[in-house]
Amino acid sequence: MSISAFVIPVLLILLLLYAWRKKVNAYGAFANGAKGAFDLCLEIFPFLVTIFVVVELFSTSGLADYLANFLAPALNFVGIPTELTQLILIRPFSGSASLTLVEEIFTKYGADSYISRCASVIMGSSETVFYVSTVYFSQTKTKRLAYAIPVALLCTFVGAIFSCLICRII
Amino acid sequence: MRKIWFVIMLASLVLICITDPENSVNALMKAGESAVILSIKLMGIYAIWLGILGIVDETKLSDKMASLLSPVIDFLFGREIDPVTKNYLAMNLSTNILGMGNACTPMGIKAMQGLDKLNPSTTASTAMIMLLVINATSIQILPTTIIGLRVAYGSTTSSDIIIPSIIATTITTVLGVILVKLFAKVKFKDKNNSKNKQITLNIPSKQKTSPHLFSKLFKRTNKTQTLNNSPISTTEILTNKSNLTVTSTKKFKNKRLFSYIKILFIKNRNSNQKFKMVTTSIKNKGGQNNVH
Repeated sequence: MSISAFVIPVLLILLLLYAWRKKVNAYGAFANGAKGAFDLCLEIFPFLVTIFVVVELFSTSGLADYLANFLAPALNFVGIPTELTQLILIRPFSGSASLTLVEEIFTKYGADSYISRCASVIMGSSETVFYVSTVYFSQTKTKRLAYAIPVALLCTFVGAIFSCLICRII
Repeated sequence: MRKIWFVIMLASLVLICITDPENSVNALMKAGESAVILSIKLMGIYAIWLGILGIVDETKLSDKMASLLSPVIDFLFGREIDPVTKNYLAMNLSTNILGMGNACTPMGIKAMQGLDKLNPSTTASTAMIMLLVINATSIQILPTTIIGLRVAYGSTTSSDIIIPSIIATTITTVLGVILVKLFAKVKFKDKNNSKNKQITLNIPSKQKTSPHLFSKLFKRTNKTQTLNNSPISTTEILTNKSNLTVTSTKKFKNKRLFSYIKILFIKNRNSNQKFKMVTTSIKNKGGQNNVH
């Protein structure tokens, strides 16, 4: 924690000093860059809504629970504890929803338990695949993602298996 | 994406009708609300990072990073990438590695737009898929959020997940890169077997080949391409002192192309030369250069 907290501010200090040496107007450059944020957000907003609707319905309808129950034995077989099935299902869709799940796991099993460590590693080594792909491709003319999502999901899944495996060893 | 979205949406709605119909509209509105809240939050976050990126751009630091990461970018995304996109790719990769999840998104979007411009079709190109997979598998050194969360929940060894995370994330990223490369290769091979042909013209070594002539040839052959109803330039002409290699990545009648080039060549040189024509199927040349 102590080192990681320094990374970003130190990098920024270096950047500012570099800008100063290069006689670059950092103020103007920052403002100019930040200008793009508004449009960017406006443009990705519809895609955010699309993904949020499906995540919300997925969890409130109970479909996520059903699927989790259904998949639990299979996931258990490859070494993923049953307690984590729902996390693995939600993780590709939404970062905040999966963080909530992780918090639940922490309170239920204690932050230092095996389950919690697995959950942490899964969170730390994966990304919200659907969210990322929606947002990244939102500004392109691309209509078909070919094999992008299957590959990304497979990697996430393999990552989860390895996360549990590594946690068991270490 | 479309299919997955549709299926999950439909299944959830059907299920919600059975189990909890009163809650359905509620859930929909809640989703909209949280999307608004998130996008406003994101606007702030993106503004900060894009601002910082502005400084990085202005100081030409991004060019330096791009040239530093150039071998990596060439390997992952192919060589035919314009410098601006390359800069964004470099920034995206480095922020990814540093674990600044929110910083890499705006840069990733811009890099993706750049790659999109290079991609003539509406199907994602290999480079675009590569960018997505790398971001979706997040090469990350410090999972700061989760460490903070562990501390908040009373973990005494909060940072012991760092090494497992690095191992797991390295495995997923490497796996992702390999898979994308493999897919690209398979796709390319399929095209090869049916369509791709390469013609080599062996020019007698006495004749020195002038770049000017070849640039002329290049333009002309591109014209024949458009006559063949392919809007994309798919012919590539490489030369060294004695060889002229014409690579066509689409269905193309070799003889026609060859004779056309020959005629042009003779016209330009005003001489009668003998050409040797060698036609070969292209063996995979490093994949990404020729993949669409």
